[in-house]
Amino acid sequence: MTDFVRFLAAWSLLHESADEGWKAAVQRGEGLEPGRPGQGPDAFVDGLAALVNDEKERLKRELSTDDANEAAREPIRSSADLADKLDAVAFELAELRGRLESLQASVDALAARRDD
Amino acid sequence: MPPRGGTIAAVALRRTGLALWRMRFGLRGRRMRRRAVACQLRLACEELGPTFVKLGQLASVRPDLVPAEAAFELERLQDRLPPVPIEPIRATLTAELGAPPERIFATFDPVPVATASIAQVHRATLAHDYRPVVGAMLHAGATVAVKVIRPGVERTIDQDLAVASRWAALLDRVPRLQRLGLRSMLAEFRASLRSELDLRNEGRVADRFARDFADDPLVCVPRVVWRHTTRRVLVSEFVEGWRLSDLSDAERAGVDARGLATHGAEVFLRQVLVHGRFHADLHPANLFVTPDGRICYLDFGIVGRTTPQQRIAIAQVLAATVYGDADRALRYSRELGLEVPERDEAAVRDAVDALMRRHLTESEPADVRGFALGFLSMLADFRIPVPEGYGLLVKALATVEGVARAIYPDIDITRTAAPFATRLVAAQLAQPRRLRERLPAATRAALRELLA
Repeated sequence: MTDFVRFLAAWSLLHESADEGWKAAVQRGEGLEPGRPGQGPDAFVDGLAALVNDEKERLKRELSTDDANEAAREPIRSSADLADKLDAVAFELAELRGRLESLQASVDALAARRDD
Repeated sequence: MPPRGGTIAAVALRRTGLALWRMRFGLRGRRMRRRAVACQLRLACEELGPTFVKLGQLASVRPDLVPAEAAFELERLQDRLPPVPIEPIRATLTAELGAPPERIFATFDPVPVATASIAQVHRATLAHDYRPVVGAMLHAGATVAVKVIRPGVERTIDQDLAVASRWAALLDRVPRLQRLGLRSMLAEFRASLRSELDLRNEGRVADRFARDFADDPLVCVPRVVWRHTTRRVLVSEFVEGWRLSDLSDAERAGVDARGLATHGAEVFLRQVLVHGRFHADLHPANLFVTPDGRICYLDFGIVGRTTPQQRIAIAQVLAATVYGDADRALRYSRELGLEVPERDEAAVRDAVDALMRRHLTESEPADVRGFALGFLSMLADFRIPVPEGYGLLVKALATVEGVARAIYPDIDITRTAAPFATRLVAAQLAQPRRLRERLPAATRAALRELLA
């Protein structure tokens, strides 16, 4: 049963922009007194809607916690990326230094020619 | 006719006359006739100087445009020019670096260690420590190679190119010569030469190459000294060792020749298929084997590039070639721009299949060079234009075999290439995007097989 409700909760989460009828059913279900039988099939659907909604919220929290864990892992994963990027930038910087040194050599040569 | 145009015409006429005499005015056999023409063509290029030497080198990697005999003969053009006297070289160094070489370097040897069509190289030692872009510090006293553009070469090339452009435009009007694509060949040649005349380009490529292979202890790229490098001067670490062209049996005995040859072939495949830039002027004179058993790459004047998409297709063509699958090789060649007309498809496939059998699958060891030359000549026979860069790549693959054989004569590079290409194709196929693309077709094929 829990799996079934969780399945519905997952479905509900994927379709969060549920229609007004669903939202009203959830609201009515939340207003029902738990454990009172004999309220009819509509009340059962409203109650189930409220149950699924609760499960949906729980699922959402779990997923957001997973996201947070993933976010926490992010720096570890990206530090390897960072090392690669740092290496690439360091190389480009060194290349740039090389170009500047070459240009400096040309400037020095022109200056020497002007002084002659 | 301008003086230079007159000189070129005079040399062309004299060499044509000599070729006619050597072939006894056509009385000798076809092979002898072609050899005579090829030999005079090479001598004419050497006589006319750097532009024509480079033109000859360019033609030597385009066997689809020139007969195979000429392509082989023109390969001999490298490093055969007489040296420039030291005074013009010293003047260039002084103008480029602001002081004579004796003041820039701790020592400078006026006797060149190498001469080529565009530049010549002198040995010197550094006066101060230098931290290169890639690799460890070069300390004061370290020996360096000072490469200097031959004085006056730029003006000669400009004049020659102007003459060549006029001739190419005239010859392009002749219907039978239009398929040679002389003007586009000249445009390619002009771009390549412009890049080679600015030695800073070569230095940058060397640095990039050094970075690509920084994790490979068997590959050595001379470190560039940018402080003394300008448009006309390139200073880099001097690497002691043996040129492959000079590698004698005795010297070869000191290193693991087979391992080095295999590794050299793999390094080339990595350049083409992983890093996307490759040394396109690879010949035994541009490679050293160091006393500690490393391969040292020199002269990054001509570099080929491949895009990620091309790399996938090249890996497939390579895998298909080494496993003798003509159909697959042609299919992926199409992705590299090779347009085979529909009416010729079957004939071309049969021709490729025959070439693969003759040179690769039934030849021991495989003859990649023979296959590559045969393949390019076959394309010329069918008048199929070779896409830009394709000929260069095919020739480079053939050359890598020559280089590997200069180190270890019995090597079969298809045995090196086969596992490398297989790994690469497998890695490419394992990418999620490729899997998604291929999965429906693969499932359909599997179902068809099961239901058959």
